[in-house]
Amino acid sequence: MTATSALSSVDPARRGGPDGREPREALARRTAFARGILRAPVYLLLAVASVLSVLPFLWMVIASTHQTSELFGTPLPVLPGGELWVNLARLQESVNFSQVMLNSLAIAVIYTVFSSIVSVMAGYGLATYRFRGRGVLLGVVLVTMMIPMQVLLVPLFQMMASAGWIDSYQAVILPFLANAFGIFLMRQAFLDFPLTLIEAARIDGAGELRTFYRIVLPVARPQIAALVIYTFISQWNSFIWPLLMLNTEDKYTVPVALNTMIGMSRVDYSGLMLGSLLATLPLMLLFLVFQKQFVSGLLGGAVKG
Amino acid sequence: MRSRTLLAPVVALAGAALLAGCAMGGGQPAGEVVLDPDAKLEGEITVWSWDVAATALDRLGDEFEAAHPGTTVNVVDVGYDNAYDKLSVGLQAGSGLPDVVTIETDRAPGYINEFPAGLVDLDPVLGDDEADFDPFKWQAQSDADGALKVAPWDSGTVGLFYRTDYFEEAGIDPASIATWDDLVAAGEVIKAKTGHTLLSLDVATGGGFQMLLQQQGQGLFDENGDITVNSPEAVEALTLLQTLNEKGLLKNVKGWDGRVTSAKDGDSAVTPEAVWWIGTLLGDAPELSGTYGVTELPAFEEGGVRTSNSGGSGLSVPAQAKNPQLAAAFVAFALADADNQVSMMQNEGLFPSYLPALQADYFAEPQEYFGGQPVYELFAEQTANIPAITFTTDNAEASDIVANAVVAAVLNGADPQQTLDDAAQQIATATDREIAE
Amino acid sequence: MTAPTFATGERGAEGATARRGRAGRPDAPPRRPRALGRRLQRPGAWFALPAAALLALFFAYPLVTSLWQSFFATSGGVSTWVGLEQYARLFEDPLIGKSLVNAGIILVVQVPLMIGLALGLAYLLNQSWLRFRSGFRLLTFLPAVTTLVAYAVVFRVMLSTDGGAVNQVLGLFGAQPIDWLNNEWWARVAVIAAITWRWTGYNMVIILAGLQSIPGELYEAARIDGAGRWQIFTRIVIPQLRPVLIFTTVTSTIGALQLFDENYILTEGGPNDATLTPVLYLYKVGFRQFDFGYASAIAWLLVVLTAVIAFIQFRLMREKP
Repeated sequence: MTATSALSSVDPARRGGPDGREPREALARRTAFARGILRAPVYLLLAVASVLSVLPFLWMVIASTHQTSELFGTPLPVLPGGELWVNLARLQESVNFSQVMLNSLAIAVIYTVFSSIVSVMAGYGLATYRFRGRGVLLGVVLVTMMIPMQVLLVPLFQMMASAGWIDSYQAVILPFLANAFGIFLMRQAFLDFPLTLIEAARIDGAGELRTFYRIVLPVARPQIAALVIYTFISQWNSFIWPLLMLNTEDKYTVPVALNTMIGMSRVDYSGLMLGSLLATLPLMLLFLVFQKQFVSGLLGGAVKG
Repeated sequence: MRSRTLLAPVVALAGAALLAGCAMGGGQPAGEVVLDPDAKLEGEITVWSWDVAATALDRLGDEFEAAHPGTTVNVVDVGYDNAYDKLSVGLQAGSGLPDVVTIETDRAPGYINEFPAGLVDLDPVLGDDEADFDPFKWQAQSDADGALKVAPWDSGTVGLFYRTDYFEEAGIDPASIATWDDLVAAGEVIKAKTGHTLLSLDVATGGGFQMLLQQQGQGLFDENGDITVNSPEAVEALTLLQTLNEKGLLKNVKGWDGRVTSAKDGDSAVTPEAVWWIGTLLGDAPELSGTYGVTELPAFEEGGVRTSNSGGSGLSVPAQAKNPQLAAAFVAFALADADNQVSMMQNEGLFPSYLPALQADYFAEPQEYFGGQPVYELFAEQTANIPAITFTTDNAEASDIVANAVVAAVLNGADPQQTLDDAAQQIATATDREIAE
Repeated sequence: MTAPTFATGERGAEGATARRGRAGRPDAPPRRPRALGRRLQRPGAWFALPAAALLALFFAYPLVTSLWQSFFATSGGVSTWVGLEQYARLFEDPLIGKSLVNAGIILVVQVPLMIGLALGLAYLLNQSWLRFRSGFRLLTFLPAVTTLVAYAVVFRVMLSTDGGAVNQVLGLFGAQPIDWLNNEWWARVAVIAAITWRWTGYNMVIILAGLQSIPGELYEAARIDGAGRWQIFTRIVIPQLRPVLIFTTVTSTIGALQLFDENYILTEGGPNDATLTPVLYLYKVGFRQFDFGYASAIAWLLVVLTAVIAFIQFRLMREKP
């Protein structure tokens, strides 16, 4: 049996997901009532969790549609105000918001593409093969995660300065391309990778890279989607390193630009909240796109309850 | 083994990185920069600042360029607070800093003492003007040998902001308050008659303890560098805070937004704060126009000092600046010039520490927000009276310990003398310093 | 780079085929693959090479520098070699002990709480019968996408003692207002709540992705054997998720021991150092007191402690690191 036929023989019904059909529908209908009773608390629980998660965002919406001076004092406004456009115009004017959004997007996309590739490859290599230096590499990855970033800033800064890279995007992106968390995540993901698939591919005479590309990547899709989401967010919200590296306002990323709205004796909270809210939109979109991968991994079988 | 040859490039890269690292060396730039006041001014400088301060320098930069053809001044808003991370890393790494940086008065001594070669001595350019600056700021922003490292910019002269309506309702004449004891007594009346607390403070960050200490001419250390946090003056300041809390006159708030919120809500009758608080009130509490007045800070003893310092900032030229001459010239242009200082007061609300500027008519003008009271006049008069105090390399560490002592005494009711003795002992252990007798 | 990989790959594949007769029945649960044997060294090294090169290039120097720096003391701009003195100082410094205790409390309370919540959420959100799945997933994931600055402001506003949303809700149940950020224990509770709010959704997504790669046959087989819901969860789901749970537990542990953001912006370590964390202390030592040598010593103490705890976790969850 070849690898591809092994894969295509997986019953589509087992994939689960929004369009995955329940098997044995008759049985399902008979116990539907009992299930409804069981499921109601689940919906309630999820509704509570969702409300708790969303509440702070509602406050951000309220805050970004009021003047800052209305945001202090008791009671706080509970309904959106009418200052959205005024705040938006000020946000654009004071930090050139459209420009910094584009900067952040460019940096995060480039970073995510390359960093994810590095993480997936390293994670696969570490989990699947035994090679010299594997233990050392895994150790370095773990230590890199465990050491507080704060003590690495000065030496890293020195390296960037001596390379003449201060105030450049490569200085923002390159040093963290090998993302220890991402590598570790992928290593854990591939630890349980079904070896039978790889073997089947080998029997077919596929090379290692081809096996990796054709067999391993598609099956690990949900985990890679999680990696991409994680990687993108970590770069998008990254603050201290871009702050140290970038010295030109037109090159700022969103968090660095928003930080300039916190002043000595005044803080532009409504502008800050609006900027933060707008900054989460690309992340939401990214999540919606990539979480679709969560249900289409080839072996992905949702629990049928 | 073959795998070893495969890993060889990795090892080579690592080695290269290490070599590069060693060659970089650390810390301080090579030669010392000595300014020449008569140097020809040309070229370009970059200035780091934040907020309205950046706006002000941007505006003055254009005027400077016009007055000195062939020069360019770039001002970058690097944000407040985290700008210090940029500054610290740049000083530590010995590279990456611009020609001019903004440093607040409270932070200046730390940078001056820990990076003695990191900032340029500004005396050759500004030394002749020493008598014209707020003496406290000049001292706080100079090193132990008296070399000026951070030029004084805006001042943090403290006054007592009070709610005229609450005082009226309680039947108290603000002019009758000369000492803190008077104020506490007045606070009890106000609380009884209006239900308002006297002050809103962020106790966890020290609740203004150091401000009260400086009012009595004391810092956390004396001029020998010995620890003074358990001096009689310190005990008096902490006892005052504790009394306020015990009498229910203190409202404990959290953080900057907590303080602004409390002011807008009208929780408390007075706010002892620096002149820049006016900017906060005008911007964030416009609806309170006409309800505020300002008087001098109450003294600890009859006839004692009636002001202190809170905040304020300065400009500095890092030794790694590419164009230190032009940088220093720009600093002098912006700060040691009455007209420019007054323009920054008028446009951006930055209160000058350059004393000649305080003579300008602008400061005598009545302020509508304060019911027509010419409040700036009061701050202008008090600026030269701010007591000078000593800062050491260990101020940051001592501040944290003292803030905890304030929490212990004010919120948990510990004995002030005992608490401060413990704090002094802690500082002594942590810093190897003596406790002053 | 491509050509040699392919070449060795082909040979490696033959080797693996020859050696691995023990794959067992094709429908058997996939097991954790043992390494593919000596002849597959090269592809493994090649896969890991980009990461290894980047780490060596950008982290070897900073890591070594920080270790080197921990043997020096700096005062007034002068560095002197002090050997292990900075490490000896760690044991006499009461703030180190206090910050480690704070981190320990958060670790013991928050990490299990959050992983439990994330696992529960992920399990529910993986049910195929669940309607609005995407919606629920997005909403519960939202906290992980907030920018730090907004997060700080929102939490301070919600937790403020007078009129803060949290106290108002508690007030509906007749509770007295709680002084969240000024009371030592409540401040800890607030920090734990804030971290849990921010990171649960993130861990949920990782676990969810892990759940997705559990083969459907396993559920079918268990059901045919008559296993109940709970048995399936404990016998199939948990063991299958082991690597993912190790990842979330170890990274959350690292996160708890390296906690900085929440405490820096919500409480600045106060009141009375009740929420001072080791990294917040390290930051103050390095960036406020400019004692980078001591800051580095604290960092390496943390590395050792984290490594020990992580090793125990690996062991407890039965995986060799």
